[in-house]
Amino acid sequence: MTPERAPLLEVRDLVAGYGAVQVLTGLDITVAEGEVAVMLGANGAGKTTTMRAISGMINRKGTITFRGEALTRRAPDEIVRMGIAQVPQGRGTFTDLTVEENLRAGAYVRKGSGIEADLEEWFGVFPRLRERRSQKAGGLSGGEQQMLAIARALMSRPKLLLCDEPSLGLAPIITQELFDVLKRLNTEQGLSILIVEQNANLALRIAHSVFVLETGSIVASGTAQEISNNDAVRTAYLGY
Amino acid sequence: MGHLLQYILNGLARGSIYSLIALGLVVIYRGTGHLNFAQGEMALFATFGAWWINDHGFPLWISILLAALGAFVGGGLIEYSLIRPAAKKSPFAVVVITIGLFQAFNSLSGLLFKGAATGLPFGTLFPDAPSDFFRLPGGVIWRYENIGVLVTVVIITVLLFVLFQKTKIGLAMRMVANNADSAKLAGVPTNKVLMLSWALSAAIGTIGGCLVAGINANVSLGTMFGVFLLASAAATLGGLDSPIGAVVGGLSLGVVESLVTNYPNDWWGSTYIGADTAIAVAFVIILVVLLVKPSGLFGSTRVERV
Repeated sequence: MTPERAPLLEVRDLVAGYGAVQVLTGLDITVAEGEVAVMLGANGAGKTTTMRAISGMINRKGTITFRGEALTRRAPDEIVRMGIAQVPQGRGTFTDLTVEENLRAGAYVRKGSGIEADLEEWFGVFPRLRERRSQKAGGLSGGEQQMLAIARALMSRPKLLLCDEPSLGLAPIITQELFDVLKRLNTEQGLSILIVEQNANLALRIAHSVFVLETGSIVASGTAQEISNNDAVRTAYLGY
Repeated sequence: MGHLLQYILNGLARGSIYSLIALGLVVIYRGTGHLNFAQGEMALFATFGAWWINDHGFPLWISILLAALGAFVGGGLIEYSLIRPAAKKSPFAVVVITIGLFQAFNSLSGLLFKGAATGLPFGTLFPDAPSDFFRLPGGVIWRYENIGVLVTVVIITVLLFVLFQKTKIGLAMRMVANNADSAKLAGVPTNKVLMLSWALSAAIGTIGGCLVAGINANVSLGTMFGVFLLASAAATLGGLDSPIGAVVGGLSLGVVESLVTNYPNDWWGSTYIGADTAIAVAFVIILVVLLVKPSGLFGSTRVERV
């Protein structure tokens, strides 16, 4: 269904881990411009490690290319400036800061112009956040915090949004709402998104391409259609 | 009643000093979670620096500003060269290093400044002739110097508040304090922020050290011991990560110290109950507060929902 799109993010032979523990043992993924890519994998497969490696939060080897530029040796703040924003696992909201301050924090890498307009835009997309703009983020519900985390990441005006298990700990109806928002961001704004998920059913519904991660490397990849029809993947991740 | 007000005013002056050193502790603690045990002795060293500059013919206020500037640079360098590499290994290594710095700065002061052990004369920024005071009702006097010290603390607190709440650098500092991981992901160069915290803390400490020296009219190797003890108590009382807590904690400990030192004297004419008892009473109060509210008076109890 997807015509050939230019690659936005290319990860080749990525090796990363924590100290002596190697979690990723040669991982390859490609995210094309304008698509939603989903990485499925069980606990401990290396999903979060992949995300942290892309954002430069941990030491890594291999090549990561974003819009033609190598970013394997770059620091997290440079990577944000290049246009990759991450919503970390567990949302990572600044709980002591107000909702509005969280959004301004997301715009940290930007200079003055346009920040106010973007603030209004995201308050428009997430009206609950506008209602609570001067409240501390720590008092928000899990779903609101996840919306805030996404809006905060978007305040840096990324080309690529990384979402690490956005559905974690959320009620099914909230998760549904969340994925609707992500889909809208993709179709209406052309935002490229890489989502890491255990909730395969929902994720597959909005995905263009899918990667299946097992113990540190990709064991299957293809379009959402192909992966849904893959028997092994279906039993392992979709449960039917 | 007149006495009460008098003792409170005296206590506020001393408490202001505790507040300043406590503020320095809080600025570092917020960013890194480290308690800088060398806070008092770093301030002492910089105060000797101010004395030295002053001794070379510069006006006192310029000497203090230059010393604070030097401390700003020095504090940043300490973070960069000692604390940062140690923090990568273990938090305990940082504790050991700050204790080492405590010793190092005290010894270095003794080595570099002749007469430091017995004390060097130190001027004050504020008028302190015997007649320099306001007369308040009830025979209470409020010395200009005590007012000046209190006002200095208020000004620095307000400046810090503006820095934290109204500037982008302040926002970055609060981001790092609240969630270092997310701050990094949002593009904050967290290392630079921590370096700035140490720099800022050292500069604030310098002002505190110079004010103590001014009140004592003297600076010696022992000047900061007691001050640091009460300042760290003040920071704990206020909640370690709250600047306003440090100020309130410092001022109230100063007042408690003053009351406990003076009242028994009035009642029983006893000189046995002195500053040492005051410290004991201060610590009992802190113990009680922390039992009731473990995060301190203004410390943040993290509310998080998952």
